[in-house]
Amino acid sequence: MAGWKGGKSQEIVLLPDHRPISTLSPSFHPSAFPSFPMPSVQIWDMPVRLVHWLMVALVGISWWTAEIGELQYHRYSGYTLLGLLVFRVYWGFAGSSTARFASFVKGPRAVLAYLRQLPERVADHSPAAPGHNPLGALSVMALLVLLITQVALGLFAVDVDGIESGPLSHLVSFDTGRACAELHEDVFNVLLTFIALHVAAVLFYLLYKRDNLIAAMVHGRRKIRDEAAAPHVRISLVRLAIGVALAAAAAWWIANRG
Amino acid sequence: MRKSSRTRTSLLIAAVVAVVAPLGIIAAHDENATGIYKTRHDAYHKLGDAFKTIRDQVKSGSPDLAAIRSAADVVNETSVNQFNWFPAGSGPAPGVKTRAKAEIWSRPQDFEAAQKLFADQAKKFHTVVAGNDVAAISAQFAELGKSCKNCHETFRTKED
Repeated sequence: MAGWKGGKSQEIVLLPDHRPISTLSPSFHPSAFPSFPMPSVQIWDMPVRLVHWLMVALVGISWWTAEIGELQYHRYSGYTLLGLLVFRVYWGFAGSSTARFASFVKGPRAVLAYLRQLPERVADHSPAAPGHNPLGALSVMALLVLLITQVALGLFAVDVDGIESGPLSHLVSFDTGRACAELHEDVFNVLLTFIALHVAAVLFYLLYKRDNLIAAMVHGRRKIRDEAAAPHVRISLVRLAIGVALAAAAAWWIANRG
Repeated sequence: MRKSSRTRTSLLIAAVVAVVAPLGIIAAHDENATGIYKTRHDAYHKLGDAFKTIRDQVKSGSPDLAAIRSAADVVNETSVNQFNWFPAGSGPAPGVKTRAKAEIWSRPQDFEAAQKLFADQAKKFHTVVAGNDVAAISAQFAELGKSCKNCHETFRTKED
């Protein structure tokens, strides 16, 4: 039995006399016993993870360049974020199962049901929530909407001197551009609040529920009790190429307005 | 549309409104400056407006020279009037919202030199825009922008 390890393939566990253990009971499967190591299955596709961490980096870069007044780099950072957002929204319809909005955005009943079992001090390895849980889905949507709002405001923002401005600011008046700049600052503070909430939630899972969501967002895998119920994380390379092209075109087009 | 997805859509819209609505209220406020504080605040606001006009035109492939010229009038006028906008006692004080730094009054010669640089560049710009040389206009606009920055770096507080 010592030879059994969690893995994707079903390994045959041998008894000391070299008969498969299944000969003792045909229905035996190690995953039926919680003390057995659980198989680690892929839940996040590569684009989801890459886009997530690039967004983390770019929000940081955008913040820093704004603080030190490097507005040209701030704009480049914003154009890149815009491309990533275009990709992520597209990927929410064209990506692997767990990347799709339709798979994780749930109604209030599911959110309430999830909230009720949240205090349980166990990592949730049930196949009902292999990707985003119903509460996490709300956080994802809030962050996406805030980031889109923030980038959109930046496109039209104008600084107090009428010198530094977003790439589409020529389409609006000075006063509208100024209002966009003020909102750009306010939305950033709201965004920071939601990011803090997001990080606090992830730490809650790590420290309280012993469920490492950060590592899962890095390597893409998570332990699932029933391997058969694991999500099918398959990506279409054609769809990926279309998404990358869309994102690059959007960022390129905007960059050439600035 | 199925019922559940309609509920989902309206929930999403409600979430967006809940996040965005308070921002409108935050953005609606404006400072209630009075006296010379208001005079110069409003004038610099007009100057920013004029700068945006020039910048937009210079950036576009085919600039509207008439628009640039009338904006250059505003810039020139501001550069002359600014010498009267910083009387003693109009600096930072409790209950007053201003980005004017105390250095304006503690280093009067330096401040006047900075003001003069702006006035000189504004005059040059006003002369250049009378012609049709877009490249020259663009180059002088960059110089003009530097003269703004020169003064702001020392005599205006950073935006919070």
